[in-house]
Amino acid sequence: MHDFQIWLVTTIGGRSAIADVMRTAWAWPLAESLHFLGLCLLIGAVGSFDLRLLGVGKRIPIAAMHRFIPWGLLGFAINIATGTLFILTEPDQYIYNPSFHFKLLFMTIGGLNAATFYLTSYRRVFGPDAPLDAPRRAKVIAAISLCAWIGVITGGRLLTFYRPSACEGQQTSLLLTCAP
Amino acid sequence: MNIDPFLAWVESTALSQWVVGSPSMFAFPGILTLHAIGMGFAVGISAAIDLRILGVAPKVPLRELRRFLPILWAGFWLNAVSGVLLLIGYPTKALTNPVFYLKLTLIAVAMVLLVRISRQVFATGSGGSLNPLDPLDPPISSRLRNLATASLICWAGAITAGRLLAYTYHRLTQLH
Repeated sequence: MHDFQIWLVTTIGGRSAIADVMRTAWAWPLAESLHFLGLCLLIGAVGSFDLRLLGVGKRIPIAAMHRFIPWGLLGFAINIATGTLFILTEPDQYIYNPSFHFKLLFMTIGGLNAATFYLTSYRRVFGPDAPLDAPRRAKVIAAISLCAWIGVITGGRLLTFYRPSACEGQQTSLLLTCAP
Repeated sequence: MNIDPFLAWVESTALSQWVVGSPSMFAFPGILTLHAIGMGFAVGISAAIDLRILGVAPKVPLRELRRFLPILWAGFWLNAVSGVLLLIGYPTKALTNPVFYLKLTLIAVAMVLLVRISRQVFATGSGGSLNPLDPLDPPISSRLRNLATASLICWAGAITAGRLLAYTYHRLTQLH
């Protein structure tokens, strides 16, 4: 994994035209602002849907509530785009950052968890005679989803406090968490 | 009015020094994280209500979204408390920066809009519904749409102003 991380940072390099634009005075703060707006859309749509599955606003049909999800996906897409800009500009600050590793882990959990929902609970929750109270399995998935996205926010917000410093001495963890 | 002595006093308190100086992840980093999570729920749910007014998810009975208000307010109060703690940590950084006052103003306007939207939408027995799922749902007037649009704009502005605080401050502390 260490070699892969080093290869990734070297390949990205942070020397593209995009990186040059990102280093101008306003580009980075603007991209960050969009990243926070995307976060709000994601929590507002996906988080609210999860809360509905957990029993908040039980008189709202679950299928009706699901119509907010595309806006959550829009927020997610904005954040993938802006997040990619950050990584293209300062690859070592993310690829070697343990907080970023946890952020990716929680994103993976959130993604697999959502896939599980659509594979196992979608029909039971959306069918013509779907109950207003979501089945237990859907509630567990919703709780995991909320925790995963809160974990993603936490990993993102803590990035700046785990900035990788230069490697000195032994590197023992599975992932490289310092800049070689 | 020179507020420097006041700012210096705030920075000299044990609470301020804990927020800024403690190596604990529960100090500054933890407070900042709570501030982002609270934002997600407060702004996210407010934006969902605005989007519903503007025509998204039309089969959601608008009035029933009031069940999400307690979580919106929990997010708001989490951010009020974490925000005050961050302010106690870096009073000079915030209070000498005009962008900070812009952020607070935008949040205040957004909250006034939320209260006005709530009064129109969530008050019982508004009547005249166009939504067959909930006869109590109010008709969505152009005035209500304008409030929802203004709410979205204010939140976007408040978030942008908040993010710019890291780039626009003139003085970090009294010592700098």
